[in-house]
Amino acid sequence: MTENTEEKETIPFYPDHVTTEFRVTIAIIVGAIIIGALALFWPVGLEAPADPMDTPAHTQPEWYFLFLFQILKYVPKTTGVLIPFVAIAVLILWPFFDRKADTHQARRNRIILASVAMLIIIILTVLGAYT
Amino acid sequence: MKPNRRKVLFIPLALMLVLLIIGTAAEASHGPGIETETASPIEEHASILRASASTEAPLPPEQDPCMHCHLQGEIADMFVPLARWMIFGFTGVVFAFGLYRSGNVWITRKKWKPLWLQVTDWMDKRYQIVDPIRKILSKPVEMFSTRWWYCLGGITFTLFIIQGITGTLLAFYYKPTPEEAYASIQFIETQVRFGASIRAIHHWSANAMVVMVVAHLLRVFITGAFKPPRELNWISGVILFIVTLGFGFTGYLLPWDQRAFWATTVGTEIAGGIPWIGDLSLVFMRGGWGVGAVTLSRFYAVHILILPIIIIAFLAVHFLMVRRQGIARPL
Repeated sequence: MTENTEEKETIPFYPDHVTTEFRVTIAIIVGAIIIGALALFWPVGLEAPADPMDTPAHTQPEWYFLFLFQILKYVPKTTGVLIPFVAIAVLILWPFFDRKADTHQARRNRIILASVAMLIIIILTVLGAYT
Repeated sequence: MKPNRRKVLFIPLALMLVLLIIGTAAEASHGPGIETETASPIEEHASILRASASTEAPLPPEQDPCMHCHLQGEIADMFVPLARWMIFGFTGVVFAFGLYRSGNVWITRKKWKPLWLQVTDWMDKRYQIVDPIRKILSKPVEMFSTRWWYCLGGITFTLFIIQGITGTLLAFYYKPTPEEAYASIQFIETQVRFGASIRAIHHWSANAMVVMVVAHLLRVFITGAFKPPRELNWISGVILFIVTLGFGFTGYLLPWDQRAFWATTVGTEIAGGIPWIGDLSLVFMRGGWGVGAVTLSRFYAVHILILPIIIIAFLAVHFLMVRRQGIARPL
């Protein structure tokens, strides 16, 4: 029984895997068409035309930059601006320091790290959106 | 093909030439054309459009002459001949193919080979591509990489393709100047057929792309796929992530409404806080001290020219490296 499953460790790329990928692609396209159909009733819309003289009460960047915007409220500007650069540098350099073969312990630590980082980012985003 | 069979080709060519001469002669004998007094509906609409071009805002839907409606057949004299010729043409192609196939079997006395096989044989004889393609397609996929979280990168790529198509369609109507940008988006939203749909797909799929890029990054991080020997692939992925955010940042300004304008003002102000080079980067991004016409054209150029080139180059590198090294085996 065990040997039988060992034999089945791979599937052919074509046609088996291509079929799966094709189905996922079709699902995405169908989703896009549904969004497009809904947009006929609820379009994305526009706000008032841009007016440099009229500063609105709440100026916000896109939602995926909100957490950076929120950090700036807690730390001095120079530090806050450097945070994304440091984060990108850490991301780029990470594989050059984390070189050992993977272990379950290391993977658990990475899961915790990623979860905490995402949690902080989500909390900051929500705070930025509702303050 | 035998030489005497090739000569047969000249018969229809000569026939066509004769028909062309007869047709031209008939047209010439008809005089210099019978000009109708009333202008054609197309020209009439074009003149209304030209007149309305001086006004700033687009006309309300019921008054708009709607040039694109020609494509939808609301002016029947454009759509009906097109449909007629498409039906006739398709029938003709099928009929001609049948004739060719029967004639070919009769002349060569060989079994008919499917057309796509003939094409691949023709290509393979010249470029020898069938073996490499077969090799690429037959590469085994390991079972662990068929789990659903391994398709997040592929979903991101599919969304990028959707972004490319819808973005090109939007660029047909969008005008990147402060005076016209807002009105052109309004035109897309209200006048262009399915313009609102295309814009909504572009908008929501951009947001989905950011989510999927982050999800893919987290998947690679958690499964440890970044570890040696795949460091460079990780770095190219981080660059793709930054480029995706750059797409979002530059694209957000383009509608030129209050939200877009002030989001860009705030965003570039943050860039202005970088130590030592803050002012330089701020002026570089805005093309001046304030957000204005130069900023808009700059962001537009980055959004539709520079970032697509960068992202396509890095996607190619990213995929080639995945192909070469295979998908990292998790624990």
